[in-house]
Amino acid sequence: MSATPGGRLRLALFLGGVGLHRLAAYRLDFLLGSGAFLIRVGLQTVAVGVVFRHVPAVAGWSYHQVLFLLGCALLTRGLDHLFTDQLWELSRKLIQRGEFYRYLIRPVDPLFALLSERFFHPDGIGELAVGAFLVVWSGTALGLDPGPLQWALVPLLILAGALIHASVKLFFASLSFWTVTSMPALQTATQLSEFAGYPLDLYHASLRTLLTWVLPFAFTAYAPAVYLLHGDTGLLRWLPAVTGLSLLAALALWRRGLSRYEMTGS
Amino acid sequence: MRTALRPGRYLPFATSGLQTLLQYRSTFLVTGVTAAAGAAVTVFLWRAVYADPTGPGPGGFTRESITTYLVVAQVLAVAHANRVDDEVAAEVYRGDIAVALTRPVSYPLVRLAAGLPVVAANTALVGVPLLVLFAALVPLTVPAPADAALFLLSAVLSVLLAFCVNLLTGMAGFVTTNTWGVRMAKQGVVAFFAGQTVPLDLLPGPLRALASVLPFRAMADGPLTLLLGRYEGAAGAAAVLGHQLAWTAGLVLLCAVLWRAAVARLEVLGG
Repeated sequence: MSATPGGRLRLALFLGGVGLHRLAAYRLDFLLGSGAFLIRVGLQTVAVGVVFRHVPAVAGWSYHQVLFLLGCALLTRGLDHLFTDQLWELSRKLIQRGEFYRYLIRPVDPLFALLSERFFHPDGIGELAVGAFLVVWSGTALGLDPGPLQWALVPLLILAGALIHASVKLFFASLSFWTVTSMPALQTATQLSEFAGYPLDLYHASLRTLLTWVLPFAFTAYAPAVYLLHGDTGLLRWLPAVTGLSLLAALALWRRGLSRYEMTGS
Repeated sequence: MRTALRPGRYLPFATSGLQTLLQYRSTFLVTGVTAAAGAAVTVFLWRAVYADPTGPGPGGFTRESITTYLVVAQVLAVAHANRVDDEVAAEVYRGDIAVALTRPVSYPLVRLAAGLPVVAANTALVGVPLLVLFAALVPLTVPAPADAALFLLSAVLSVLLAFCVNLLTGMAGFVTTNTWGVRMAKQGVVAFFAGQTVPLDLLPGPLRALASVLPFRAMADGPLTLLLGRYEGAAGAAAVLGHQLAWTAGLVLLCAVLWRAAVARLEVLGG
């Protein structure tokens, strides 16, 4: 039953529902998780605002354009956070403590089984809400008027960005099959994704190349924002290929890791 | 002297803290990349504001002094990453705190003893290389010797303050299981109101007033004011150090009071 796409979807919805129940049970935890993001992002927005009190534009970007970019970054990151947070646990302890076997003995794909444990992770909701607010607010302030094609592409751009985040996460989390725990590597990669919330034009060329072609976080916010703000498709046309290749690389590493996994028994 | 206050009792905790740290050497890499990325973002942003290299810009900063402020703020943040909040929260969450409480030592002092080697190692292995790296990439201000000495004194106080702030954050584990959220929020608030993302003198009026009443100012902005000589004579320097001392004393007291209250109502389920 669960092997068919329809069954998979039903299972995902059911597990998502379980996640939402958990949300109601641990209300303070939910508020703390989402509230923490509100505070952090709120202060980040203020920091950007203070910069623009002193200059009209930074690297050719105005205040609202930077906030629009930041909003895009939060939307893709939040969407990814909502569904793949369990990968942190994989990198942190599932292999190390020998707990990973439980995903192998269920009658669904191990990756699906793994991720389903934290579907609708509430901590991502704060990011999504702030991201949506920033995009709409700064978009309105800029008088942005997207064409029909742009409107149609928006959900796809967000999805592709989230998939790139998920791929990077899966790639570094899968390293734990070889290194037992890969938390530091994953944390490092995540730290670098913070650069994506600001215009890449600020950075040194080497850092730009790294963020575009090695850890492609440029495609999670900068490329879509430049397209939506200026209609510039120079970078955007690489998005499908980059998303596909990132996913393929991550899934290939995950499969190789899976096939070499041996439980540490006790 | 009460046995719980004899310093020798805490030496084993300090050495074991260091041993644990050296087992997980990759954490240095994470701390380093985090600090370097944080410094890079703020430095790139603010250098765009001070694009004109002649004369002082907003807040009386020059291009060099604002860069120095932001880079050294990150170095201080590295010295403040003592992991006390993580450790305390985790021990409370797992219930291991019960075992720790049976020992004839003061638990907060144990955490301080275990945290100090972490601070020293972080400063030496991450903070100093970070400073050297940025000094090689961008011009920094060379401080006057007296200012550098005042900065060092002030930096030591800021480490104590950071310990108190992190201990209080870790104690949130007594009331919630989502200590991750509390720690995230703490990080954001401290980074902002200490001056790590925006030099406090550049904040608009109300926010600046808020920053000046919070203790976090003493964690980065205070030492940096001394380092860059942005104070008026001996009285100005004394005011910065006095503010730091007062907040350190206040938070130590708060930690002691809250710690007693928390332990009194602690309940650990055994198994």
